[in-house]
Amino acid sequence: MNLDAQQSNRLSSKLELTDISRRFGAVVALDRFNLTVEPGELIALLGPSGCGKTTALRIIAGLESADSGKLEVNGIDYISKPANHRDMGMVFQSYSLFPNMTVQENIEYGLRVRKMEPAKRAKIVGEKLELVALGSKAKNFPHQLSGGQQQRVALARALAIEPTVLLLDEPLSALDAKVRTQIREEIRRIQLDLGITTIFVTHDQEEAMSIADRVGVMNQGNLEQIDKPIALYNKPTTPFVASFVGLANRIPAHVSEKGNVKVLGQKIPLSPFSSDIDGGKNVVALIRPESLHIVSSNETESTVGTVVFKSFLGPLTKLGVDIGEGLIVHLNELSKEVRKIEIGEKISIKIFAEEIMVESA
Amino acid sequence: MKTETVTSRSDVIARRSFFISRIPLPLLPFFLFVGFFLLWPIAVLVVRSFKGKKNEWTLANFDAALHGPYFHSFVSSIKLASTTALSGSIIGAFFAYVIYKYAGNRLTVILDSISAVFANSGGVPLAFMFIAAFGMQGLVTKTLKNLGIDIYAGHFSLFSFTGLVLVYTFFQVPIMILVFKPALHGLKKEWSDANSSLGGNSLTYWMRIGIPILTPAFLGAFLLLFASGFSAYATARAMTAGNVPLVPLVIGTLIDGNVISNEANLGSALAVGMIFIAVITMSGYLLAQKYASRWRTK
Amino acid sequence: MATLIFFIPLTAAAEFSFRGDFGKGHSFTNYIWLLKQDGFLENLLITLQLGAIAGILNLLLMVPTAVITNIKFPKWRPVLDFICILPLIIPVVSLAVGAQVAMPEFLQNSQYELAFFFVIIALPFTYRTLDNALVSVELKTLVEASRNLGAGWFLTIVRVIFPSIRTGVIGAIFLSFALSLGEYTLTVLLHWTTFPTWTVIASQQNILGAIALSVFSLVGAVLLMIFISIFANKRNKRLNQQVEEEFA
Repeated sequence: MNLDAQQSNRLSSKLELTDISRRFGAVVALDRFNLTVEPGELIALLGPSGCGKTTALRIIAGLESADSGKLEVNGIDYISKPANHRDMGMVFQSYSLFPNMTVQENIEYGLRVRKMEPAKRAKIVGEKLELVALGSKAKNFPHQLSGGQQQRVALARALAIEPTVLLLDEPLSALDAKVRTQIREEIRRIQLDLGITTIFVTHDQEEAMSIADRVGVMNQGNLEQIDKPIALYNKPTTPFVASFVGLANRIPAHVSEKGNVKVLGQKIPLSPFSSDIDGGKNVVALIRPESLHIVSSNETESTVGTVVFKSFLGPLTKLGVDIGEGLIVHLNELSKEVRKIEIGEKISIKIFAEEIMVESA
Repeated sequence: MKTETVTSRSDVIARRSFFISRIPLPLLPFFLFVGFFLLWPIAVLVVRSFKGKKNEWTLANFDAALHGPYFHSFVSSIKLASTTALSGSIIGAFFAYVIYKYAGNRLTVILDSISAVFANSGGVPLAFMFIAAFGMQGLVTKTLKNLGIDIYAGHFSLFSFTGLVLVYTFFQVPIMILVFKPALHGLKKEWSDANSSLGGNSLTYWMRIGIPILTPAFLGAFLLLFASGFSAYATARAMTAGNVPLVPLVIGTLIDGNVISNEANLGSALAVGMIFIAVITMSGYLLAQKYASRWRTK
Repeated sequence: MATLIFFIPLTAAAEFSFRGDFGKGHSFTNYIWLLKQDGFLENLLITLQLGAIAGILNLLLMVPTAVITNIKFPKWRPVLDFICILPLIIPVVSLAVGAQVAMPEFLQNSQYELAFFFVIIALPFTYRTLDNALVSVELKTLVEASRNLGAGWFLTIVRVIFPSIRTGVIGAIFLSFALSLGEYTLTVLLHWTTFPTWTVIASQQNILGAIALSVFSLVGAVLLMIFISIFANKRNKRLNQQVEEEFA
């Protein structure tokens, strides 16, 4: 019996949410939310607090009910299944582990509930401990472990039951920055190894963008865009995504005629996703720092400004340039190129972009 | 947060003299006040309990306390305290849970206030209410009589041990609710969610997680109720006429009247006995608290 | 179904008080009777006096002590914590005996000795309230900031310390006053008469009147506590909002 093949079949499930809606009183948490997760994919749900990402996750887990909509796992209807029959592994932001049990007892909890016999349990616990590299801590209690270690145990516990889907609710938000990076890479590594379908909820873009196959940006109960990280970054399809993912300068601009925007003295085509703004309107252009560059003072269509701050970020240096009317524009340049630029100096900058995303002023 | 437990009165006295030499000036008024009105009386109490009728050192008082009728009163008090602690803690835990789970914010505030008042209602108003309800002429008694049930037919009397149990439980329950609710709030939602997603149900949750975690707090609360039931005076005094021997009541009769009376030493011994029991119980309570919070560090 | 279980405790409590009202329901004469008894006013007054004295004493003693410990002598906090828990551990009965055998004659001859003991009895509650207020406000940091900005001690006390702990102080006074008003055990064992003890004796003649009074005092106390909780919550909310607005 090929356990691995069986295992990977079970772990790599396809998840489909169709038109899921949920409201709490007057607040709409999810508004006809649709999501398809392919087998073995790691999807990140990204958004600010209150956007509905955690609600969506909890509905998938069965810890919340949906007002309407369909939820299918591998084609099977899960909406009416109680949470404890869904075989989904979940890791929480904090207080993940049962404090009165050792690491070992925590990990085997799901197996004990399924009445697995001790020998088999012990074997699986051993495997999972090795997976997260915490074999030496089997007999410790949660309060004796660091935050990062606790979350790794929580991961082991969730995986012990061989879940169909792995759900992570901001698992790293309560950890120190350095630990966060380490563990998110570990999570991704394990996820790829096991080929387990995973949904990762977070408000931290870097986290989402660095490990997910696809990232879904959510806002106020709606899924604004779901795409590969690089597509999200370079080709945002809504103003919210454009300003939420990555940094964006917000510069007053004017739509001179339909399809083009005049900003900083330049005329640039509008991104197709914002072209339904008629000519003659004032808008706010969203421009990434890396789309702006320092040019020589006699360059055409450039804007002059004064450097008001300079921030060394390692390979790049961030500059803040005051271009008048209280507008400070941020741009990033290679550190070695701007080494000689001082604060107070006057420089010229220009936008280098093929299309610009705008939102109404 | 307590790191010390008092083991004997002489400890307190020793500690006191050690401290006096090191107390910062601004804190002196406090220590003087407390020293004079709290620590000094207790110290004298302890000393007196070891003194006999002719002012000699003796253990006769304790001997009397531990035998015969006085001993019997200790037994009664302990029986009363443990019974009502048991009933109070079980019923109180149940109510605390119901409130914790189902009460909205407003209702909780109201119930908390009610509990706080009833818990501190210093037996007298409480006793009166019960007499009104369950006394010979009480409303409940009369109503039940009309329904054909005569509760006084058997051995029941409000003014007996059973009656006291009933009344004591009534103020023990609110104390339990007040003390136990915080423990319930310590049960994190994540644990019940984790239990569900791992395949468990209500039963597995309570058996493996909920009850184990709540047990220290429950035991602690039980001990607190015990101490409270043991030391209560006003209610018992208002409701019995000396027919139920309880240590606080006995002490009351001993110091009635002449202060210089010879019985003051015996009373002191009994009082020391009460303090002793209270200290043991409360130490247990504090230990339980500490134990319960050791998991709370994250 | 939950609401059903829920109503049981509520109805139990309501029922009892309702039965108590049996006396009141019949006529208000029961209330008035009590008012007319000899000694009503005199005992009420002396109790109020004692309560006030105890409250003020408590204030004068505990507020500086708690504040100073918190700011200047944090190492003494455990000691204070311990001492202030003692009155809860030591049964009042024992304290009464101690008071009888240890207090000097002149003190024992005056009813005002009760005030001092009321302070002791209220100590755990007052200290806890003050301490909570102090801790939540991080007084030490505030004081250091104030001193740093150049304010002298007097200004700091008036403008920084007082306002921060105001709710705590009010709560503490109130608690100790309330406790003194209801204190029965110590009073009776020291053979003094205050309002609570007097009502017990007087009511032995008219049980209905006594019940009416008890119900009244209980209901009153509950309403008062609810009022205080709501008031304290509102004030906290308002303060928090102010702080948020300042730092937003």
